[in-house]
Amino acid sequence: MKDIREDIAWAKINKDVLVSLENPRKMYWVIVFSALALFSVGVGCEVYQYNVGMGVANLNNPNVWGLYIATFIFWIGMSHSGTLLSAILHLMHADWRKPIYRFAEAMTTFSLMTAGLFVMVHIGRLWQFYYAFPYPSERWVWPNFQSPLLWDAMAIFTYLSSSVLFLYVGMIPDLAICRDNLHEGWRKKLYTFLALGWEGTDRQWRNFRITYLTIACFLIPLAVSVHSIVASDFAMSQQPGWHVTSFPPYFVAGALYSGCAAIITLFIILRYVFKFEDYMTKSILKKTVRLTFAIAMVWTYLNAVEFAAVWYGHDVDAKQVLIQKATGPFAPFWWGMIFCGSVLPLILAFKRFQTNIPVLFAVSLLLNLGMWLERWMIVAPTFSHGYYPWVWDNDQWPSLVQWGMVMGSFGWFTLLFMIFCKVFPSVSMYEVKEMVYHRSLHLKKDETAEQGAH
Amino acid sequence: MIDSSFDRRDFLKVMGWGGAAVALSGCGNTSIEDGKETVVSYVEAADYVIPGVSVYYNSTCAQCDAGCNINGRVREGRVLKLEGNAASGINRGKMCGLGQAGVQHHYNPDRVREPLLRNGDRGEAIAWDKAYALIAEKLNGVSGDEVAFLSGGVSGHLKVLLGNYLESLGSKNHFVYEAVSPAVVRAANKKAYGNEMPRFSINKAKVVLSFGADFLGSWVSPVHFSQQYAQFRKGVNGQRGVLVQVESKMTLTGANADRWLVVRPGTEGVLALGIINALGASGVALSGDAAAASQGYDKARVTSETGVSAEHLDKLVALLKERTPSLVLAGSAAEGYAHGSQNAAAINLLNQVLGNVGKTIEAPAVLPFPQMAPAKGSSLALKSLNEGLAAGKYKVLFTYGANPVFTAPGSMKFKDSMGKAAFKVAFAHYLDETALQADLVLPLDSALEDWGTQVPEYLADGAQINIQQPLMEKLHPETRGMGDVLLALIKQRQADAYKGFEDYYSYLRSALLQNKGALGGGGSDDDTFWDATLTSGIIKLAGAAGTLSASSAAGLKLPEAAAADAQFPMHLIPSVTANLRDGRHANQPWLQESPDPLTTIVWDSWVEIHPKKAAQMGIVEGDIVEVASKTGTIKAQAYLFPGIHPDAVSIPLGRGHEAMGRYAKGFGVNPFQILDAVYDQETGELAMHETRVKISKVGQRVIVVKDEGVIGGKQDGRRIALSKTTDQVKLSEEI
Amino acid sequence: MSVGTLLENWSEFRHFHPVDDKPHDPYKWAMSIDLDTCTGCNACSVACYAENNIPVVGKEKFQHGQQMHWMRIERYWSEDDREFPDQGAQFLPMMCQQCEAAPCETVCPVGATNHTADGLNSQIYNRCIGSRYCSANCPFKVRYFNWYDYPTVDNVWPAEMTRQLNPDVSVRGKGVMEKCTFCVQRLRAVEVTAKSEGRIVREGEVQTACQQACPSSAISFGNLVDPESRVHKQWAAQQVVLEADEQEKNKEHGTSELRGYRILEELRPYPSVMYLEQVRESAV
Repeated sequence: MKDIREDIAWAKINKDVLVSLENPRKMYWVIVFSALALFSVGVGCEVYQYNVGMGVANLNNPNVWGLYIATFIFWIGMSHSGTLLSAILHLMHADWRKPIYRFAEAMTTFSLMTAGLFVMVHIGRLWQFYYAFPYPSERWVWPNFQSPLLWDAMAIFTYLSSSVLFLYVGMIPDLAICRDNLHEGWRKKLYTFLALGWEGTDRQWRNFRITYLTIACFLIPLAVSVHSIVASDFAMSQQPGWHVTSFPPYFVAGALYSGCAAIITLFIILRYVFKFEDYMTKSILKKTVRLTFAIAMVWTYLNAVEFAAVWYGHDVDAKQVLIQKATGPFAPFWWGMIFCGSVLPLILAFKRFQTNIPVLFAVSLLLNLGMWLERWMIVAPTFSHGYYPWVWDNDQWPSLVQWGMVMGSFGWFTLLFMIFCKVFPSVSMYEVKEMVYHRSLHLKKDETAEQGAH
Repeated sequence: MIDSSFDRRDFLKVMGWGGAAVALSGCGNTSIEDGKETVVSYVEAADYVIPGVSVYYNSTCAQCDAGCNINGRVREGRVLKLEGNAASGINRGKMCGLGQAGVQHHYNPDRVREPLLRNGDRGEAIAWDKAYALIAEKLNGVSGDEVAFLSGGVSGHLKVLLGNYLESLGSKNHFVYEAVSPAVVRAANKKAYGNEMPRFSINKAKVVLSFGADFLGSWVSPVHFSQQYAQFRKGVNGQRGVLVQVESKMTLTGANADRWLVVRPGTEGVLALGIINALGASGVALSGDAAAASQGYDKARVTSETGVSAEHLDKLVALLKERTPSLVLAGSAAEGYAHGSQNAAAINLLNQVLGNVGKTIEAPAVLPFPQMAPAKGSSLALKSLNEGLAAGKYKVLFTYGANPVFTAPGSMKFKDSMGKAAFKVAFAHYLDETALQADLVLPLDSALEDWGTQVPEYLADGAQINIQQPLMEKLHPETRGMGDVLLALIKQRQADAYKGFEDYYSYLRSALLQNKGALGGGGSDDDTFWDATLTSGIIKLAGAAGTLSASSAAGLKLPEAAAADAQFPMHLIPSVTANLRDGRHANQPWLQESPDPLTTIVWDSWVEIHPKKAAQMGIVEGDIVEVASKTGTIKAQAYLFPGIHPDAVSIPLGRGHEAMGRYAKGFGVNPFQILDAVYDQETGELAMHETRVKISKVGQRVIVVKDEGVIGGKQDGRRIALSKTTDQVKLSEEI
Repeated sequence: MSVGTLLENWSEFRHFHPVDDKPHDPYKWAMSIDLDTCTGCNACSVACYAENNIPVVGKEKFQHGQQMHWMRIERYWSEDDREFPDQGAQFLPMMCQQCEAAPCETVCPVGATNHTADGLNSQIYNRCIGSRYCSANCPFKVRYFNWYDYPTVDNVWPAEMTRQLNPDVSVRGKGVMEKCTFCVQRLRAVEVTAKSEGRIVREGEVQTACQQACPSSAISFGNLVDPESRVHKQWAAQQVVLEADEQEKNKEHGTSELRGYRILEELRPYPSVMYLEQVRESAV
């Protein structure tokens, strides 16, 4: 099975991709409006919560963090695979990434933006959120640089701005193509502006490559650090179940895992909605699936490391939290996480499922459900079973407001993502051309590639 | 000037000093009318009122009858917080939660703000003079015998004025009612010691054996006893006092006991006699009465009847014998039965056997002004009032300081009886259940706005008169002090005698100044004495020491244990909690949200069931159970409580209001409603613990709203609240 | 407003850690609570409501675990399976332990909870953004979050009741964290008075609201570095050292004949509250 047909004409690539900006299937609009509806639910919940108080989320003392933080970690994690595909695989010259990295990179950006919202809805005084920024204040008050939450804010902000930059820089040659091929209108103006006068000269390409590579190199440590820092929110605290040394790599693995699963989901959706069957081929899907499987196993291993460290350690309180997760009121969710995160991915080891689109669609969603449960199971049980038995409380079921906002975040993310795919080319045209070109070099007898010269 | 037609004896009576045991000094001083004083308005603030700076006034807590002296913090004309008055011998600067909540009584949003006259189902606001005129009109042509006045415990000048008013009406029907009072114990104490309330010196005892006396929570003078308890725990020379509590349902005091002995309900007296018997057997000399009374109460019988193990009985007897003096207390659990008087007598006899009388049970100071002494409430009073009302004897009924519609046992059907009186006047702070039945509701000042004098029943530290003074201006212009109202009413009858007193303040001031020599202000001028009195808030009286009289316990005999009741197999123990007591303060939100110390439940009632019994019946926490007595049924959530006899259930009193205010109405159930009409055979007091009930599951389940976590007060092996036994510590080395 | 200021402040930051060489001078407020005289009566808790403008949240919010009692009385039963609690219960007043190395302080993103020079763990309501990280990291769970805007919630403070509010204490709006302050308003008042008179606060000059109310005087409060203070004497007599994570007296046998201990000391927050163990008579 080939990653891509070598005989696709470059003009056809342009045409196929550009058509996605104009004329998607009806399903596109179904998705967009469903997402909008979900998002509205989330907005409604936030308006209510903002006005009445955080209490409507049914959080309490000591269960002060809930789904907001869990879902925040989830979205941060989701963002990692974009970087994995675009930066890490770029450096490793895995050229099968080329048709899919663009949307993965977009996913990174938008999931970070979604994650950022959860910080906002989580804090009790949203209107004072800027206190967390190290801005020069007339009162000479700085934020607390000791707090992992502050590191978080900084890391996410840096990561988000770098991701946007990376996404944008990587798109410049394609924006030029859009500029050149689209009819007059606001879009043309937009592309003209964003293409920065790209003409594809030699010098431009040289500078472009260097810039892109530099940002890629910058982004990789950043990506690793971001989720390590999110892990620090927990690992640097003193609470049983959180105070775990292996949390940073565990979080990074989990992040890549959920990101890859999300890529599979979106891969399947985009392939269908924008008729990208020629570019998002089953072969690439298969490679993604294998990558996901590998990461799933790493994650499972790190999970086992954590459990073993707790189980054989002398921290009775941490051990109790673990036992409580497995046997207490959270048990269905915790075992659900184990099933979705460690057992279900075993399906991906079978070749016949590696290209089975319906199965993969379902599995990828379930993997992400598992990863979401993982985040919840990190956050909630420690609150309900901490050091102090008097306040143990397992009955704190999140209110509909919390669930509404979790749903709303999916709406928001999907909305942003779908709009992006409609406005910007979600398949990198110039890199697909490169890919086709390199493959075609092996087929010298075939003239097709030559004809595609543009 | 004193009117010439107003002779000296009448004068003394008016002022409340008639029959005083102390000679009046300075009598004839004509400064009565000089007692007019106006309270300076806050707009023209006095020079001692500095914005931003708090001033403190001493007064007296009115949340219960213990008479703690308080110190109110006032800033910018608002009372903010109540602290204990450190100079008080009663509470020594300390306060209980109930007392702290006094400010919420004062600032309560549900207070009655103007006189209300019944018009159908509604109350119509009327002016005070119309209300007074209406009372005069309704009293016109009614004989004194047809007027009844129901009040809570009253003392001091208010009691005098009230008595004078009733006398002016020709009525002798003053019913002093307290729903929760140690009336049986008073009677038993009177018999055993010659005093209704001797002084109990817990701090001097090495062992305290309490038969259901919740002296740390709600019994008599808990703040005072708590301080004594602290000294008792510190002990002398490091020998820590030992507390043994005997009861069927654990009280707060029981929860602090070194040994909590659960007894079959009603067998407290049996255990007391069993201890006497065992003490006799171990060589303690018994009087003839004691020997006779305890005859036959051998260990086998006592252990089988009470359920206390022989081991614990032996240890207790050994301890009592070894460590003297000790102190034995008879409390509400012991007295709450048809044989409550015998129970209390048996318990008091134990004190005599142990030689505690005169050592830890001491004579109280004698109050030189007996007419100031508190009129002590009992439930017998309500019983006779109810009988009179039911028979249509009373045409006009006044109620003050009591809420009998809420607190009367359901079997009494007091509400119906009350309806038979033609005109009912309620002096009230809230539109409570009783006020709602009244025809005229007269709104009263809060205790923090009103003048008064109070004498506590339990004189912890010599005789004293407590001063109650306003800590701030009235919140609501149309409320009146009870003294002012009584003064206005009595002026309707005896205008001449009282015409010199513009208000209760001038009455009070005159009265106190009139007798300042006896009140310890002999050498000072009026203003100096008055200022000093208001400053300290306490008038300490040099009274003669009282005496205890030995008495005989001849003829003490406990009844045979009652046969099991097949239809109603369980005992109902209506428990008195420190915060809510009889429910008069249920509308103070701090008290509603302050968790019950033992169950940590808030804002609701509960049925305490022993876990073993609950397991048999398939009841788990939060199950709604129906508790049915002969009189009625109530439904409440179950709480599995290990500190209760398996044959008993307990429901706290004080909640279950159908009126009164936003913080009280609709929270919990009212166990008074299902109390059977069983009375103590000697005193006629309501036997609160005699109601038998059956319980059944209703089939609903709720989440119990409480502070404790899901593991119900276990520490899960963690080092949180630690405990040691006396042989593991060296208390003598502590400071 | 410069990086220079930041760096300069940094050197002072959290300088009051007990292992630091800088001693508490002249104050270190501390408490000791005798569990043998504590009767569990709740007077301290109600006094705390009165002094510190704590909202009464009502039944429904209490059910959701949103109660605000800064001082809570915990009631423990013994855990051996006896049929009746025949040695009573154990009561434990629990409030902010004013830890010297407070886990809550380091994690606050905006530095709203800080250590003061006199050894308090302070909470700056105006600075708090409500991340609730402090509560998440508090081992004792004694921090209470304003889940609602209590001043405007029905029946929390109806018009008349607002007049009871203590003007020395902020009324907290929604979205901020709060907790026991050791009645800092009272401390500051006497500290300022003492300073203006050129002396330090004397023993007995200031009481916390809970201590003042406690009918059995189970709570002592004072300046730990003042050798004349009762708290100092008690800590010394009990051989409980503020800056120890395991007390010398316990090292040999794990327990001693002295009753003083601190809760969760092994987590090294260095609490400023010492408890004295409950005692039960062994002869009965």
